[in-house]
Amino acid sequence: MIEIDGSRGEGGGQILRSALALSVLTGRPFRIEQIRARRKKPGLMRQHLTAVRAAARVSHAALSDVTVGSTVLSFAPQGVVAGHYEFAIGTAGSTSLVLQTVLWPLLAAAGESVLVLTGGTHNPMCPPVTFMEHALLPLLATMGADVTLSLERYGFFPAGGGRLVARIRGSTAWRPLELLTRRGDVSVRGGAQVAELSEKIAHREVRVLKDKLGLARDAVTVETVKSIGPGNIVQAFVQSEGLCEVFTACGERGLRAEQVAKRVVGQVRQYLASDAPVGPYLADQLLIPLALAGGGTFRCTEATPHLHSNAEVVEMFLPVRVQIDEGAGAAQVTVRGVS
Amino acid sequence: MATVAYGMLGTTLDRMGARRWDRWRPTVGLCQQDDLLIDKLVLLHPARSKRLGHEVQQDIATVSPETSVELVELSFRNPWDFEEVYGKLYAFLQTQTFRPSRDDYLVHITTGTHVAQICWFLLTESRHIPARLVQTSPSNQKEDVAGRADVIDLDLSKYDALWRRFAKEREDALTFLKSGIATRNEAFNAQIEQIERVALSSKEPMLLMGPTGAGKSHLASRIYELKNTRHQTFGDFVEVNCATLRGDGAMSALFGHKKGAFTGASTDRAGLLKKADKGLLFLDEIGELGLDEQAMLLRALEDKRFLPLGADKEVDSDFQLIAGTNRDLSERVAEGGFRDDLLARIDVWTFRLPGLRDRIEDLEPNLVFELDRFEQRYRGRVTFNKSAKARYLSFATSPHATWAGNFRDLNKSVTRMATLAQGGRIDDEVVQGEIERLAQSWAKTTPLSDAQKFARDLLGDEAWADIDPFDQPQLAHAVFVCRQAKSLSEAGRTLFAVSRQKRRSTNDADRLRKYLARFGLSYSQIQEAS
Repeated sequence: MIEIDGSRGEGGGQILRSALALSVLTGRPFRIEQIRARRKKPGLMRQHLTAVRAAARVSHAALSDVTVGSTVLSFAPQGVVAGHYEFAIGTAGSTSLVLQTVLWPLLAAAGESVLVLTGGTHNPMCPPVTFMEHALLPLLATMGADVTLSLERYGFFPAGGGRLVARIRGSTAWRPLELLTRRGDVSVRGGAQVAELSEKIAHREVRVLKDKLGLARDAVTVETVKSIGPGNIVQAFVQSEGLCEVFTACGERGLRAEQVAKRVVGQVRQYLASDAPVGPYLADQLLIPLALAGGGTFRCTEATPHLHSNAEVVEMFLPVRVQIDEGAGAAQVTVRGVS
Repeated sequence: MATVAYGMLGTTLDRMGARRWDRWRPTVGLCQQDDLLIDKLVLLHPARSKRLGHEVQQDIATVSPETSVELVELSFRNPWDFEEVYGKLYAFLQTQTFRPSRDDYLVHITTGTHVAQICWFLLTESRHIPARLVQTSPSNQKEDVAGRADVIDLDLSKYDALWRRFAKEREDALTFLKSGIATRNEAFNAQIEQIERVALSSKEPMLLMGPTGAGKSHLASRIYELKNTRHQTFGDFVEVNCATLRGDGAMSALFGHKKGAFTGASTDRAGLLKKADKGLLFLDEIGELGLDEQAMLLRALEDKRFLPLGADKEVDSDFQLIAGTNRDLSERVAEGGFRDDLLARIDVWTFRLPGLRDRIEDLEPNLVFELDRFEQRYRGRVTFNKSAKARYLSFATSPHATWAGNFRDLNKSVTRMATLAQGGRIDDEVVQGEIERLAQSWAKTTPLSDAQKFARDLLGDEAWADIDPFDQPQLAHAVFVCRQAKSLSEAGRTLFAVSRQKRRSTNDADRLRKYLARFGLSYSQIQEAS
C-alpha cells in the first residue's frame, strides 16, 4: 500500500489525479490522507470525487467510503479494462480532468477504448480540450500513443453540456522523448470562439492578439460555436518544428474582452521570452508519459509546484527517478529508469 | 448515504430566458456547489409553473448530472397565507418517508415567499422533516453565477458556544428558583431541576405539597418570575391563602360579583381569578377551599371561564394554577372535604417540598441567605462570631431542633438574633438566648397527644405548664398506663418491664407511686378521673 500525504507540495487535486492514474495503471493500491488539507475548503470537492469514481469504474477498484469533504481515501484497483465509458461530469469538474485521470491506464489496457465525456470542455483553471488536442496529443503520438479527440460540443462555465469523445488505442509501446530546444521557424496563430454571445466580443479579442503579438490578418480566426450556454475562449497556438504550444483564457462575466485576450498575450510573451520548448502546463502533462516510456528529457519555461508534486507521485508508483534542474528562465526535467 | 434536498421552485428567481446563465438562480445554483453534492432534489412547484419546473430540471441535469430532480406539484391559493402554506407543507411531508440514519436531508429555504420560509423553518425545527436548512445566495464575485450555499443546522447542541450559554442560562434559572441559595440536598436539587423544566414547558397546574414554612409560596412566586423573564406569562402573580377565604366572601373574592348580587355588593368586583388572567394564580392551602368554590374552580380550569356572582354572562380568564397544601388531599377526598375530580385536575405535576428537618444540610446555606436578606432590608452588616455560629449550627442541626415551622422559623430566628446583635455581631450570649427561645416555642407548638391532654386536664393547665417539656410526655405515658391497668402493681410492671427483667426487682409499684407523687398525683386519683 502506497501512503500519500495529500497536504504536501502543491497540495491540491493534481496529486490525487496522478495517484489515481498511476494506481490504476500499475495495479498498486494507495491510501491518501489530508487531501487538500491546506485549502480553504479541505477534502474532496465534487470534481475530485468525479475523478475518483471514473478511475474506480475503469479498474473495478475497491474504494473506501468517500463523499464530498472526505480527507482520506483508500483505493485498490483490480486492473484496467478497455471499453466504452460515458462520464457525465457537470460544470463543477471538467472533462479534461477526468480524461487526464483515465487516459494513461486506458493507453496501457488491452484493446481500444471510447470515452464519452459530457460537461465543461473549456473551464477556467483546467487545461482546455483545445490544449489537450493540439499540444499534448501530437507529442504523445510521437511517443507511440494513439489518441484522437473530437470535440462535438463546447461546454463553458456555468451551463456546461459540452461533449467530448476520446478514442484510445490500448497496449501502447512507449518511446522516450527528448525535447530540449525549440527548433525551426516559430509561427503564432490565434483565435477567439463565442457561444450564445455577440461575435463582436471575439473580434475585439483577436484585434488585441493581432496588435500585441503582431499577427497577420489571416493568422487569426473568429468563430461562433455551438453550446447550450454562453461562453467565450481566446487561444493562441505557437508552432515550432514538431511542437505546438497552446495558451488560452476563458471569457468571464464582468471581464472586458480585451482583458481576456491580454491574458493570452501575456502567456505567449512569457513563453517566447524563454528558449525552452515546453510551457508550464505541458510540462505537467509530459511527466507521466516520460515515466511510462522509462526515460526522456525536456526543458520547460518554469518548474511549477504542480510539476514537483507530480514528480514525487510518479516516483512512488513507477521505477523512475525524476530530476528537475532549475536554471534562469528555464528548467530541465530528466526521467531515468531505475532497476 | 445520499443527500436529499427539498425546496420550492422560485417562480421569479429561478426564471428562464436566454440570459439565464448570466444570472444567479438559487435552485440551479444549489446544484452547482463544488462542496455540496445533492443526489436528489424534490422540487415543489405550483401547477402553473410546470414548464419552468421542467426547464430547471433540464438545466440541473447539465450542470449536475449526479442530481435527480423530482418535480412535485403543490399550489397555494395564497402563498402568503400562513395557515394554508403550513398546512399543505405539513400534509406533503406526511407523504414522505424519511430515513435519517441512511440519508442526509436538506431544506432549501431561499425560494418561496417569506411565509414559506417560516413554515420550512418551523417544520424543520419541530423535526417534522429531519433536515438541516440550506440557504443559497449570490456571490459577490460577478463571474460566479453559481453563488454560494450555507448549511444551517438548527440543532443548537451542535454549537458549543451556544450550548454553553444555554447550559449557563439553565443553571441561572435553577439558582433563581433556589433564590441563589447553594442548597446541598441532592433530592431537593433534583426536584428543583424538575420544577424548572415543568415551569418552562407546561401550562398545566402544579401542586406544591409540604409542611407550613417549607417555602411553597416563595417558590410559586419564583416560578412566576422565571416564567415572566422568559416571556411565558403576561399577566400578574395573584396569591391567596384559601384558609382566609372561608364563608360567604369566598365566592366573591375568587370569582367576583356584579353590583347588587348580594347585600353589600355596592360595586362590581372582578375577583382573583380574573385578576390572574394570562398570569399565575397561587392558591395556598387549597384543601381549605369550600366545596362550592371547588366546583367553580374546576370549571374555570377546564373551560377557562366561570360565572361571577349575580352575573348573567360568563367571563374568561386564562391563568396557570399553582396550588399549595400542607395536608394530604386524598385524605381530604376520603373525608368528603375535597372533590376528587378537582384533585385529579390539579394533580398533574405534584412536588413534595421537604421541610427543613428533612434537608438539614441546607440549613447553613439558608442561614447565610437569611443573614444577607436581613442586611439588605436593614442596610446593616450582621455577622456571627465564630464560636457563636458553631454553637447555633450545632443546636440547629441537632435532633432537639424540630424546626416545626421550617424555613419560616429560621427566618424569624435570624431576624431576632440580628436585631439583638450588638454592633452587628451575633455572639454566644445572643445565640444561647435564641436556642432557649426556639426550644420553648417548639415545646409549645408540639401537638399534644390524647394522653398528654388527659394528663394536662388532670393536673390543670398551670401545673402542666410548670413541667419541663422534656418530662411532659413521660408523665403523660405513665398516667395513660395507670388508666389502663387494673392495679398500681400492674401499671408498675408494665412501665418498668425491662429493668424488672434485668434486675429482678419487685418494687415497681413503689417506684411508680413515688414518681406520681412528685407531680402530686396518685393511682386512685387517676382511676377516678377516667
